[in-house]
Amino acid sequence: MTTAGENKKSRGRRVWNLDNPYVFVLPAVVVFGTFAVYPILRSLYLSFFHYEFLRPDQMHWLGLGNYREILQDERVIAWSGIVTPQGPLSLWQIALYPLLVLGLTINTPGGAFWNTIRFTIMYVPAAIILPLLLAVMIDRAGRLSTLFRTLNFIPIVVSVAVISIIWMWLYHPEYGVVNTFLRGLPGFGEGYNWLSDPKLAMPAIVAMCVWHGLGFNMLLYLVGLQRIPTELNEAALVDGATSWQAFWKVRLPLLKPTMFLVGLLSAIGALKVFGQMFIMTGGGPGDSTLSVVLYLYNIAFRYGKFRFGYASALAWALAAFIFLVTLVAFRVTRERE
Amino acid sequence: MQVTFDKVRRRSNAVLLYLVLAVISLLSVVPFLWIIFSSLKPYDELYSKHLTFFPRHYTLVNYTTMFERMVGFDYYYRNTVLVSCGTVILTLFAGSLAAYALARFRFKGDQVILLIFLGTIMVPGEVGLIGQYELLSSYRLLNTLTGLTLSYTAFNLAITIFIMRGVFASVPQELLDAARVDGCSWWESFWQIMVPMGASGLAASGTLVFLNSWNEFIFALTMNNWTDEARTLPVGIQLLQGQWQHWDYGVLFASVMLSFLPVIIIFILLQKYFMRGLTAGAVKG
Repeated sequence: MTTAGENKKSRGRRVWNLDNPYVFVLPAVVVFGTFAVYPILRSLYLSFFHYEFLRPDQMHWLGLGNYREILQDERVIAWSGIVTPQGPLSLWQIALYPLLVLGLTINTPGGAFWNTIRFTIMYVPAAIILPLLLAVMIDRAGRLSTLFRTLNFIPIVVSVAVISIIWMWLYHPEYGVVNTFLRGLPGFGEGYNWLSDPKLAMPAIVAMCVWHGLGFNMLLYLVGLQRIPTELNEAALVDGATSWQAFWKVRLPLLKPTMFLVGLLSAIGALKVFGQMFIMTGGGPGDSTLSVVLYLYNIAFRYGKFRFGYASALAWALAAFIFLVTLVAFRVTRERE
Repeated sequence: MQVTFDKVRRRSNAVLLYLVLAVISLLSVVPFLWIIFSSLKPYDELYSKHLTFFPRHYTLVNYTTMFERMVGFDYYYRNTVLVSCGTVILTLFAGSLAAYALARFRFKGDQVILLIFLGTIMVPGEVGLIGQYELLSSYRLLNTLTGLTLSYTAFNLAITIFIMRGVFASVPQELLDAARVDGCSWWESFWQIMVPMGASGLAASGTLVFLNSWNEFIFALTMNNWTDEARTLPVGIQLLQGQWQHWDYGVLFASVMLSFLPVIIIFILLQKYFMRGLTAGAVKG
């Protein structure tokens, strides 16, 4: 075997020599090419056609027609614009007027694109800040940090489908924990219809997603914190900084790359949101939680016509948007530094 | 005086820290505990206006009903295990072999292959959904475990290659040279040097791939949703939810609990690899 192997290699031209890098990459290239690259390119190709899966005979070239249809599709692009509060305002509402307008605007449903955007806008800041606070605390927890890390990490190993079902029961208007808890507090009456109120459904889903992703983002921050040499912190403390100052001035700036990573990953994940809406609300009430991926899934597989051409265009438009967001994020951070 | 005051303050700070952490950690696990305890409650306690966290009477009736009446659940379980394990084995085999070639050899086209693999990481998998459906349908692979496994393998290959290429690139060249002198073929040195040296990297990417496939939803929903024989747990559970929510949700809780418990237990046992795999997967971008 040994010398034979060497000989084969040195001759190198034998067709059946399997000891060859091309042979090593072959299985991966074949599977990847067939089941990943081809479907992605096929979707791109289909996005330029009028194509219903059940009527392949009627397939014909549309050029950018599907993309133009997206821009005219009310269920995708509807947006109420900036929403201002109606009626007389109380004093604190006047004081916090800009925040009030921002909140109202973000929480007013629109088409699938706007709903996806507002889901992302609600989700990402919480997904950046809350896990950071948690990670900083766990980092200081000493011997118990492993325990806390493990406990907080548990939700992320459970699937979105199961998490969504569990939370549907937590949000259940009659038998749910959330309302049972609220009924015990003064001023909440019987609680809320979390998932069937167009004003509450999206924030309720966002809250669940923040809870679900908490442990994962915490872990990224813990990795980031470990990369910072402890000497830096100690040096700051020796120089008379309080531990608060040391964190704010020394460690937080060094955590910026991690915050960027967490923010970008959260935003990309949020723009692709599907399962939560599919299971918990089906996009409702009205279209208030209809996301882009949910809409394209419905177009392709739910509404009976199997409009693969249009659905592919939606998918590629979303991918282009995600790519754009990534690009802009990298640009902006690079310019700042 | 000053010293003791400082000490007290520091200690009370630590107690406060632990208290806050305990509350947050509790919030992370309470929903699961809620499902577990609810699945052990009898019917009338579940539908009571006065909910309690712990059951007043413990019962296994929900579990027995589930095994008697919920046709399909055993299929979902079996399918998820088969697809996840199949995906892990295929992905690790094909992925690490390719990563070995891409990390250790210069050959014509290697840069192009690498670029295609890593470039696709940036493309959201959802974009391939429709092309994939058409492809599997034309090969009669819809509603088969083979089809879903191949599709999962393809979408996990890029990240596996990315992780393993890094791992294999850090194996010292002297080891390979020594093996070469001893007459090992490249294939043999892959199994005898690379695989053992990259074991923890393999474990990390293996757990990442396992978790991805165990939890995957949209592809399973699209490709394998015609018969119970083909459904996986996330899709099946979602279906059971629709069927049972107005009837008897204690039974539903039992099935939900059985679907998350094994993953949580495996996670706690293998948490080192889980965390490493997931962070390695995240840094891909």
